Amino acid sequence: MRRSRFPIAMTAVVMAFLYLPIIILILNSFNPARFSSRWEGFSLVWYAKLFESPEIWQAVRNTLIIAVSVTAVSVVLGTAAAYALHRFGASRLQRVHYTLIYQPLVVPEILMGISLLMTFVAVGVPLGLFTIFLAHVTFCVSYVAMTVLGRLQDFDFSVIEAARDLGASSWQSTRKILLPMLMPGIVAGALLAFTLSVDDFVITFFVAGPGSTTLPLRIYSMIKYGAPPMINALSTLLLVVTLTAVLLSQRLANRRSGAVKSTG
Amino acid sequence: MAEFLEFRGVSKRFGTIQAVSDVSLEIKKGEFFSLLGPSGCGKTTMLRVAAGFEEPDAGRVFLDGQDITGLPPDKRKVNTIFQSYALFPHMTVRDNIAFGLAIAKRPKSEIRTEVDRMLELIRMADQAGKKPDQLSGGQKQRVAVARALINKPDVLLLDEPLAALDLKLRQKMLIELDIIHDEVGITFLYVTHDQAEAMSLSDRIAVMDNGRIEQVGAPAEIYESPRTSFVAAFIGDTNFLEGRVHDCLDRDYCRLAIAGLPEIFCFNDKVLQPGQPIYLSIRPEKIHISHDRPEEKSRRNYLPGIIEDVIYLGSNTKYWVRVGGYRIQVLRQHDRYFLDEKPLRWKDECWIWWHADDGFMLDHFRKADEGLLAVPPQSVGEPINGK
Amino acid sequence: MRRRQTEWLVSLPTLAWLTLFVVIPTLLVFVIAFRPANPYGGIGRGWTLDTIRALATPNYLLIAWRTLWISLLTTAICLLLALPAGYTIARAPERWRNRLLLCVIIPFWTSFLVRVFAWRSLLHPEGPVKKALEAIGLVGPEATLLYHPAAVVLVMVYTFLPFTILPIYAAAEKFDFRLVEAARDLGARPFQSFRKIFLPGIRRGVVTAVLVVFIPALGSYIIPDLVGGPSGEMIGNKIAQRVFSDRNLPHASALSAVLVLAVLAPLVAVLVLQRKGKKSDIIMGEAP
Repeated sequence: MRRSRFPIAMTAVVMAFLYLPIIILILNSFNPARFSSRWEGFSLVWYAKLFESPEIWQAVRNTLIIAVSVTAVSVVLGTAAAYALHRFGASRLQRVHYTLIYQPLVVPEILMGISLLMTFVAVGVPLGLFTIFLAHVTFCVSYVAMTVLGRLQDFDFSVIEAARDLGASSWQSTRKILLPMLMPGIVAGALLAFTLSVDDFVITFFVAGPGSTTLPLRIYSMIKYGAPPMINALSTLLLVVTLTAVLLSQRLANRRSGAVKSTG
Repeated sequence: MAEFLEFRGVSKRFGTIQAVSDVSLEIKKGEFFSLLGPSGCGKTTMLRVAAGFEEPDAGRVFLDGQDITGLPPDKRKVNTIFQSYALFPHMTVRDNIAFGLAIAKRPKSEIRTEVDRMLELIRMADQAGKKPDQLSGGQKQRVAVARALINKPDVLLLDEPLAALDLKLRQKMLIELDIIHDEVGITFLYVTHDQAEAMSLSDRIAVMDNGRIEQVGAPAEIYESPRTSFVAAFIGDTNFLEGRVHDCLDRDYCRLAIAGLPEIFCFNDKVLQPGQPIYLSIRPEKIHISHDRPEEKSRRNYLPGIIEDVIYLGSNTKYWVRVGGYRIQVLRQHDRYFLDEKPLRWKDECWIWWHADDGFMLDHFRKADEGLLAVPPQSVGEPINGK
Repeated sequence: MRRRQTEWLVSLPTLAWLTLFVVIPTLLVFVIAFRPANPYGGIGRGWTLDTIRALATPNYLLIAWRTLWISLLTTAICLLLALPAGYTIARAPERWRNRLLLCVIIPFWTSFLVRVFAWRSLLHPEGPVKKALEAIGLVGPEATLLYHPAAVVLVMVYTFLPFTILPIYAAAEKFDFRLVEAARDLGARPFQSFRKIFLPGIRRGVVTAVLVVFIPALGSYIIPDLVGGPSGEMIGNKIAQRVFSDRNLPHASALSAVLVLAVLAPLVAVLVLQRKGKKSDIIMGEAP
């Protein structure tokens, strides 16, 4: 049976569609022309300008402070939530729990942004890094919980029973057996939380205050009110950083899951 | 009767694996034809070529005189019963059976009566509203049969249709398939690795190995006079003896020289020269065994041996007998097992004999095929003669 | 009742957090929609229906209609592109599958703003797409690609496409492709077997893909803001304008409340349909 070439051709078109803008963006970051339609030779001028800009570095600092603290808190909360959902999944409490955790994944970001803004204004919390932190944890928890939950679903709980049988306490079996075996899921969740926090614009835009400009907010104002070619350079750098992180974690996750499989 | 489905020099390669190489085969109209062989022998590829799922790299396929090689599956008057049945999970039994007619845009009333007739044939009229995952294995199988037959194909292709069923059900479905074949009278091309299935159902069998056809013939022909060591060893069990032609007494019989054994008489159906190397195959149940040397008759081979092992199998007993450098397996059906006055036991001396007509010389021998035979119990019991 | 204690212990942190920062804020949106604004950009005292009434103006209806059709069109195009792509990846040889999947996911890991920006410069009046189209003679020199609803749809498709491909791939990967062979064997042409066997077989993946695109599309804000211009504005832009330009929080709340209800509609529809499907299965299962 000759398979139709149509789906393969469509896939090629889809891939080209997905990558063309990114490739042109990277090329343009080395193009000294003000507008990107003409190639005026290879140049690092936009990178040089980027490194001279103090606002960028301030924004990077803010972004990292938020992302690191958000990742730490949401990994702990999300892992506990995933455990609860998996272990007590049938109870009514967990059904409510699941619905709540699912909420941030489906609700459009703008709704989350505006509702959090209303709350902070109503209660009188001053907007700034702290409100951004609260908002980011709120959606990152859900992503971490779902990632770890996926890992838990393949988890064979008789291993825990074996540990208890061999004399480990509840806490010991959690710390020495459960957590190490869940590590690939937790690492993947942490990575996801970090990336989402670094990248978030919409929610941050609503709950940010004076002096709490993050990198996406800075990029946004650059797009809207100024220096586009510099963004090409900045984007290329971001791309390199995230791609390296993703490929590394992918390799790490593969190796770990392989190890877990062979022992399980 | 003329050939109906014909493969002419068909070859198919997947990556580095040559699945089928230069196979020609002719299947007659109305025949129940089986492709029998171990997994990976190319039998399923042949079936998929006939169905139109695979296009051969070389060769042609003809159906009723027409070249169908390049035709897509939906344009062939051929239908398949898949090993997994491949019932559509989102459709009811009725909709599954009706699928072919619905696709062909036949009138609603006709579809209804045809499906009812099929449901009657497979005795599942009361299950028409069920979804496939609510059916047992045997029921799924019957729905798959009905779904394929409703299109009134010229040839029905069956890909190991009983493999997923347990033994008892398999035997039952075997009979049902036979009855259905008799009733509808269309050509069946049946793929299986199970020799019992192939033997009991088929008019003719093609035994396949390594992408080639080893032998084509009626079940008895295949069993009683295999042409190659593979056929002899794959179907049933056998003993191989290696030697040379000593001389030929007349047109029908030869004497063979086999190292460590007396001269062996053998029926001859080929042209042989003295000194020519040959391989002899004798089925275990053709060999007789007793304590005492039996009264000698012509055209029989008598060999003295020592029993190395006795395996009780219920309906019969298998003896491993050391004769010269060979361990020969002998199968004996006993009429009064417990009342046997002088049962054959381990380490007993004995005589084995067979008629010259029951041994056959192979056209083709391959050392590797010995791996298909039952293995003598090397480490069981005491080694004899320190060997 | 140790089990019960442990359950509460591990569930309470997230339950409390999400109640504080998801449940209460969402309810608050509905409450504030009925409050008057105060002149300092905050929330006034008392209750009013004025904000709700203000939503019925033709301007808002136009925006609501545009939000709906842009989201629907985006979903449809995403599905049309994702079906062949998901199918191809699922049918690719094992070792290729992960690589292709990674290729689909990588754009998702790049900054969202950066991707929108990339399109902005592509569609710019001085950008390569415009120049190329001009060279072929498809558009005149005065045509604008940017600041147009079509640009919004294009960039939304670009953004959501990976999210559409993933669920379709996941469903197609579990699909038994022998069923397609069986359908072809029974006389179905390639497209018939695709429509009658493959599509119903991956319907869960399709439903997920639709929800994953349609719901966030309804709430789009950055894309219409950066490439849509006034003729491409959606509800999200109006909400942001009420917050940042007019400092009218009750008005923004009222708009958000409408958006919440719009988002709930497809979710509830899917839940009801799924429950109905399940029930009919159960009834059939009980039949003799």
